[in-house]
Amino acid sequence: MSEFVDLETQDGVRMTWNTFPGTKQEALSCVIPVAAMYTPLKPIPDTPVLPYSPLRCRICRSILNPFSVVDYVAKIWVCPFCFQRNHFPQHYMSISEENLPAELFPQYTTIEYASSPDTGPKMPSVFLFVVDTCLIEEEIMFLKSALSQAIELLPENSLVGLITFGTYVQVHELGFGHMPKSYVFKGSKEITKEQLLEQMCFFAGRPRPNVGVIAGPRDGLSPESIARFLLPASECEFVLNSVLEELPRDPWPVPADQRASRCTSTALSIAASLLGLCVPGSGARIMAFVGGPSTQGSGSIVSKNLSEPIRSHKDLDKGAAALYNKAVKFYEALSKQLVHQGHVLDLFACALDQVGVAELKVVVERTGGIVVLAESFGHSVFKDSLRRIFQSTDYDLGLAFNGVFEVNCSKDVKVQGIIGPCASLEKKGPLCAETVVGQGNTTAWKMCGLDKKTSLCLIFEIARKDGPESISQHTSNQFYFQFLTYYQHSDGQMRLRVTTLSRRWVTGSADVQDLLAGFDQEAAAAVMARLVSLKMEIEVFNNSPDETAYYRMILNRENVANAVVMIQPSLISYSFHSSPEPVLLDVTAIAADRILLLDSYFSVVVFHGASIAQWRNSGYQNQPEHETFAYLLKAPREEADAIMKERFPVPRLVVCDQHGSQARFLLVKLNPSVTYNSNNPPPPGGDILFTDDVSLEVFLDHLQRLAVQ
Amino acid sequence: MESASPFASGPPRQRPAMVSNPTSVVQTPLIGRSMAPSSSVPLPSPFGSALPGFSRPAATPLASRPPPPGAIPQGPIAGNGPRIPGFTAPRTLPPPSVQPAPPSAASSSIRPPTPYASATQDSGLQSYPGSPPSGASVATLPMPFVGPPASQQFGRPPTSQPLFSGPPRSQPPFAGAQYLQRPMAGSTNSQLPLAGPPTSQSPFLGPPTSQPPFTGPPTSQPPRPNTPQPPFAGLPTPQQFGGPSTQTLTGPPISQFVGPPTSQPYAGRSSSPSQMATPSSQPFSMPPTVGTSFGSPVWPSQPGQMVPSLPGNVQAPPRMFGMPPGMPGQPIPPVLPAMGHSALAGPQVSTQSKIDPNQIPRPLPNSSITIFETRQGNQANVPPSATSIFVVKDNGNCSPRLMRCTLNQIPCTGDLLSTSSMPFALMVQPLALPHPSDDPIPVVDFGESGPVRCSRCKSYINAFMRFIDHGRTFVCNLCGFTNETPRDYLCNLGPDGRRRDADERLELCKGTVEFVATREYMVRDPMPAVFFFLIDVSLNAIQTGATAAACSAISQSLADLPDGPRTMVGIATFDCSIHFYNLRRASQQPLMLIVPDIHDVYTPLHTDVVVPLTECRQSVEQLLESIPSLFENNKVSDSAFGAAIKAGFLALKPTGGKLLVFQSVLPSVGIGSLSSREAEGRTNASAGDKEAHKLLQPADKTLKTMAIEFAEYQVCVDIFITAQTFVDIASISVVPGTTGGQVYYYYPFSALSDPGKLYNDLRWNLSRPQGFEAVMRVRCSQGLQVQEYAGSFCKRIPTDIDLPAIDCEKTIMVTFKHDDKFQENSECAFQCALLYTTVYGERRIRVINLSLPCTSMLTNLFRTADLDTQFACILKQAASSIPVNSLSQVREQITNLCINILHAYRKFCATVSSSGQLILPEALKLLPLYTLALVKSIGLRNDGRFDDRSYWASHVMSLSISLAVPLVYPRMISIHDLTAKENDGSLSSSNIPLSSEHINDDGIYLLENGEDCLIYVGNMVNPDTLQKLFGVTSVDGLPTQLVLQQFDNDLSEKLSDVMNEIRQQRCSYLRLRLCKKGDPSGMHFMSYMIEDKTAGGLSYVEFLVHVHRQIQTKMA
Repeated sequence: MSEFVDLETQDGVRMTWNTFPGTKQEALSCVIPVAAMYTPLKPIPDTPVLPYSPLRCRICRSILNPFSVVDYVAKIWVCPFCFQRNHFPQHYMSISEENLPAELFPQYTTIEYASSPDTGPKMPSVFLFVVDTCLIEEEIMFLKSALSQAIELLPENSLVGLITFGTYVQVHELGFGHMPKSYVFKGSKEITKEQLLEQMCFFAGRPRPNVGVIAGPRDGLSPESIARFLLPASECEFVLNSVLEELPRDPWPVPADQRASRCTSTALSIAASLLGLCVPGSGARIMAFVGGPSTQGSGSIVSKNLSEPIRSHKDLDKGAAALYNKAVKFYEALSKQLVHQGHVLDLFACALDQVGVAELKVVVERTGGIVVLAESFGHSVFKDSLRRIFQSTDYDLGLAFNGVFEVNCSKDVKVQGIIGPCASLEKKGPLCAETVVGQGNTTAWKMCGLDKKTSLCLIFEIARKDGPESISQHTSNQFYFQFLTYYQHSDGQMRLRVTTLSRRWVTGSADVQDLLAGFDQEAAAAVMARLVSLKMEIEVFNNSPDETAYYRMILNRENVANAVVMIQPSLISYSFHSSPEPVLLDVTAIAADRILLLDSYFSVVVFHGASIAQWRNSGYQNQPEHETFAYLLKAPREEADAIMKERFPVPRLVVCDQHGSQARFLLVKLNPSVTYNSNNPPPPGGDILFTDDVSLEVFLDHLQRLAVQ
Repeated sequence: MESASPFASGPPRQRPAMVSNPTSVVQTPLIGRSMAPSSSVPLPSPFGSALPGFSRPAATPLASRPPPPGAIPQGPIAGNGPRIPGFTAPRTLPPPSVQPAPPSAASSSIRPPTPYASATQDSGLQSYPGSPPSGASVATLPMPFVGPPASQQFGRPPTSQPLFSGPPRSQPPFAGAQYLQRPMAGSTNSQLPLAGPPTSQSPFLGPPTSQPPFTGPPTSQPPRPNTPQPPFAGLPTPQQFGGPSTQTLTGPPISQFVGPPTSQPYAGRSSSPSQMATPSSQPFSMPPTVGTSFGSPVWPSQPGQMVPSLPGNVQAPPRMFGMPPGMPGQPIPPVLPAMGHSALAGPQVSTQSKIDPNQIPRPLPNSSITIFETRQGNQANVPPSATSIFVVKDNGNCSPRLMRCTLNQIPCTGDLLSTSSMPFALMVQPLALPHPSDDPIPVVDFGESGPVRCSRCKSYINAFMRFIDHGRTFVCNLCGFTNETPRDYLCNLGPDGRRRDADERLELCKGTVEFVATREYMVRDPMPAVFFFLIDVSLNAIQTGATAAACSAISQSLADLPDGPRTMVGIATFDCSIHFYNLRRASQQPLMLIVPDIHDVYTPLHTDVVVPLTECRQSVEQLLESIPSLFENNKVSDSAFGAAIKAGFLALKPTGGKLLVFQSVLPSVGIGSLSSREAEGRTNASAGDKEAHKLLQPADKTLKTMAIEFAEYQVCVDIFITAQTFVDIASISVVPGTTGGQVYYYYPFSALSDPGKLYNDLRWNLSRPQGFEAVMRVRCSQGLQVQEYAGSFCKRIPTDIDLPAIDCEKTIMVTFKHDDKFQENSECAFQCALLYTTVYGERRIRVINLSLPCTSMLTNLFRTADLDTQFACILKQAASSIPVNSLSQVREQITNLCINILHAYRKFCATVSSSGQLILPEALKLLPLYTLALVKSIGLRNDGRFDDRSYWASHVMSLSISLAVPLVYPRMISIHDLTAKENDGSLSSSNIPLSSEHINDDGIYLLENGEDCLIYVGNMVNPDTLQKLFGVTSVDGLPTQLVLQQFDNDLSEKLSDVMNEIRQQRCSYLRLRLCKKGDPSGMHFMSYMIEDKTAGGLSYVEFLVHVHRQIQTKMA
């Protein structure tokens, strides 16, 4: 297993099969598809950034890489994908075995190219805040303070805009010096980009071009008119803060039996159009802060009448959620628009009830946006996550924008699609498999937003047919892959990351062992989880559609390790008897003198056994003679902090005691090997679960029986 | 508002009534305002004796004296601007010559002002809305139904701030001022006015003999090309009007031109007292001190021209209001002058050589005050001319200011009416400003039961309802139904058949009363006073200074809004989007909220767009101050006017209120956008001419539909148009026209000279007496039915009109038709009921009653015809037909109407046999002149701009009678010689006929029509005069955009006095324009010389000839 992790460290890639089944037939019988989990921007130590443009194959456009065969004498390289022979250009003339360019170093299978300063300007990143005002006073206060903190952390050169919404959508003109000023749009009415162009007076006093698409400064908008709404953070911090400070709740009265009139979809659509007008094709994110369900506009998810409950999975299943399909359709269109413009939608949904994440999922996911779901804007999950986005520390997200991801691979491998935060660019080619999974039927994908941890799941298909002739055709049994990621780095520079991989294929029953050796169980679990969640939209329980959507979105962007944590939380035991050790995720792990640390990805639980809790409550840890106890108490907390620091969204930290109410966060994850009706009593200090669920053991038995039959 | 429908249309719905504004009810104490020499005045006027001395007596004394307790609180403070040091206190006072005496005062010659005087004059100007203080003094008087003391404040028009550079001189209140002048009619005249049956007057009748004037040798006339037209020329001796011979023709006392009963001998005009100025010319001139009011027998001089002939022919008869109808002595009047003219002149016509243009009928200004008792001897009196000055004693019929009829006797049959050809209509001006000495309108509170009403027709109890059967039942004077008297309203009848309490119950003895409305008359609580200002900030508005002017005007006017927590204001600006302002925020800074969707507008906030003035005054002021700079660099030239008013409406929708819009350009985008039709019309000129009138119709129905919705929610729209180009007033004016608002038009707007008027117009608009959410209905006796209402209102059901707002100037015309016959000696009653909410939130029903005798005699109809009212009616009809018919058709209709009326008179009433004479009924002798003036007016001229014409039409539709006449027949006076004229403060006496003959190159003339004021400077004017008046030494040095400044010299001071007097009189600041001879502006001035022959129109003399010829043709 560790070799897979090593491979991942080098290239950010994990594959279900590291040795490929050689033919289509064999691949099918493997059940687990050939797939790769790729983290395009995974920080890889010592990866060089080359300040020049890559060399490309004349035929297949793949990029020169360590797997290319180079004829140093003839100054020719052979493309490993199409076997085309390419001459080196003039400036590579000094190449020799001793004098290799970095991209040919065997250890640099992953390498980056940066456009030189004169080829592309640095683009400021754009943050457009879209803020819900249909909140209770308390929530508004929380949100304001979180936002004003975030504003302080904004990179100086980034551009900032503000939209607030409730019954109406207000686009704040931050560049108007005299007084706070905003454009107010009706929440119930959709407005097109063209109308926006008209109504926001972008052409005031100047004739409007008659033809052509109007967008951005290059296409006819004056920088001044754009600067009304998007200002450098350094210039508008004061205005922004003063607007936020006086930001009132949505002033329209809400009858007691109704929900607030909240036009989330209209606000997002206006935000998208505004960015589309002002900064098309340049990195920008809409950061939406939503505190309740949308009740107005095309994306509304529920009527205003409080007597109507918000849709559940059951409603969706029965087709009883009338608004759902309409909303999804609306957001699909919005996602197309944003993808086209290269902009991201981030969603911060903080409410006790659902806000419509399920409907919004399509936009967030296709644009590679961030999603955070919390109970309140005052909750640390939200506050800390927001801070993390802007804070520049070792753990910063490394937000990048406006990416394009392309795949190149050897002839007998085809791509079925990608499951993950991206959108197809519909670039069809011979590489496209007929079977489509996720975003497929293309070899290029848009990743409007991506960060260090964004992970794509590529599903491949082995196209090679059975037959001896095909085996003998090539002596080489190598497959090659090349992943190209163009993106706007958080510093504004455009970059291209190239990862080139090679994997061996085997064929025939003799090589089953080889296949098995190359099987990455964790990667397979992560891939299967994505596949399953893609296919299984209905059979869900215990969650609201919003929660389901949230968990899946996170799952779909996380790397293998974190996906595995989501699937199978880790449980670590701390006790006086041993150093911290992983224990079975089982109810039997509970003991009175243990501290358990559960990491279930979305929450981190520190669970004190009954005795530990007692001791702690008595304050032993403060007594010098019980220093070890103090240490014992501290160790799991430190571990928890470490987890939290690195994870995004920041998980919920639950510190609880055995038999306490919060203990449920742990209990719910444990294998019910001991329940209220099992025969074997728990060990002293242990616990039992009150559930009728079957234990893992029973389940496995059942599974075995099925497998054998 | 649904609320309103007080009037039961069919079913006995509860018919609420309308109430009056407490404030509007001006309860002036009946203090003797000396209007006439003591002898004639029944009031205890102490100063009879002092008269002569008083020509401007009051001024200094007032100022110097401590005010009587309680009275005059704020005289000097009046203006709201800083006072200019240079002005001495006295000057701030109005020039009233008369000082009213407090009732108790002894007759010392100098007297403290009476309360009313103080209220009206000094403080008056500005105090209207909120300042009861001035009225306080009044309150002390025992007045039964006095409403809130504040009432008096009304009166003031906005004049206060005058142009004379800043200093706000306190001007006399309009009303007051007017009266003040020449209060004391010359002692010489017999003043009959009061009361007395005119018998005394007989003297006047006599004078007819003095016809001579006409005969006068025409020689005096400067040879004007047009007057002696060929036709005349032919005749060697055309007879001038009515030579002696004519007189014989006409029956008895034919005063030629000089109709005895009417106040104005035509001669008067020319000879108007004002002429005194030209000393030389007039032999007869009275001593200046005497205000020449009518009493003066002499009418000699023509200004500048000596007309030898004027025999004193006319004693201007005092007006005989009191005269009972049918007085023996009163023949049907007048007849007139025949004009012999060649063509027509039959052989028998004594021919004279020409018509003397100086002798033809012209309005005779009359500045003396008469007292008019509305009824006497149980009969209605014929009211004085609407343009004259009078005090009303309400004896059962309403004041003619509130409601008057074109006919003072009602024809018994429709046939009789159509034979006469005269229009039959009521002009209702329900909140008209009273004269300070008028009987106040009593407020009557019937408690919870509400006013007593006829159970069938729902008309309100009034003096003409007849109680019978010992008072147990009463007969409705309108529908004839016999009602049971409510138990608590029972009262025995006296021997005369009247209820014993008739004199104590004001609703049973007064023509006008206001009832306090009960809940029944409300569908909601009375609305607060809400004002929403909407300001154009598009490129043009900003660049021309219109925005700044509007903001400044609004800011200054805030002080004049009604005080109190119920007064709300809101502000929005607009260009191609609408900008609201949240004025109530934690920080002082307002928040600008832009509504960009101008096809589907909304208000951006639920609250705080309209805020209580008291709480947010400061932020409102700050905002107004900053708006011009906020939009300083605005490059948007489009205007979303329609969307903006819709948005403003939405802000006002919950409460109703007034929407005041400042608009500078053609609405070009959004809802109700318009195209530059005028230009399109010009390019298609060929097709355009025939269809030209279509440009006076609204472009489409969008604005009309919106306006109807506005009216439904009690939103009244006033529009101030500060434009440089075509803005399509025809379309825009539909909105104010439907919501009880009005259009103000400043074209071309000048940032230099117009802000003063803009401010004053706005101020008067906000502070004049007015009411909100009103419903009005006019009922009439069986036999008649209301045919149509015309004016500025919305009509959703046939019987009532909805007036989101109604103010003291709005006049509604109501036409009638017969559906049955009247008995000869019966009376026909009219009752107007106006249910409204005062600016202080009281709900009132103002009920205005008029009962007129019926007649089957055509001569009676002519004798009691009311010229001014008829003319106002004709004017309004013309205005409403110009969008429908071509101009030439309309002109022809009007001319034909004139001819038909005169023909009817000639045919059925005049006994004259000579066909060579044009005979004019005395009461209507000015009809031809007015008709001619109307034909040449802006609205009917071919050369006018479409916007001018549309504005004229919309302005006319709600214009009061007293302003209708001057609008068409302006007043002109000379100002270069103001100081030479007698210092009697009278400007009205010096009118000059509107003929270029009277314009001299060395003169400076002022012409005003209640809207515009043109100052014409000849090219030979004495530089010294120029220096004194304008501060320049040559004509060339005169600025084109005139702002009158007051310089420290008599002439200049006098001019400003004159200006102020005119403003007060017209309740309008007047738009000042300088006209120079030889300049296009000079031509413009000359276009007002309606007696001149013009390219497309006849001269006055020619017109008379034309009319005469047409009548003769018809006779033949």
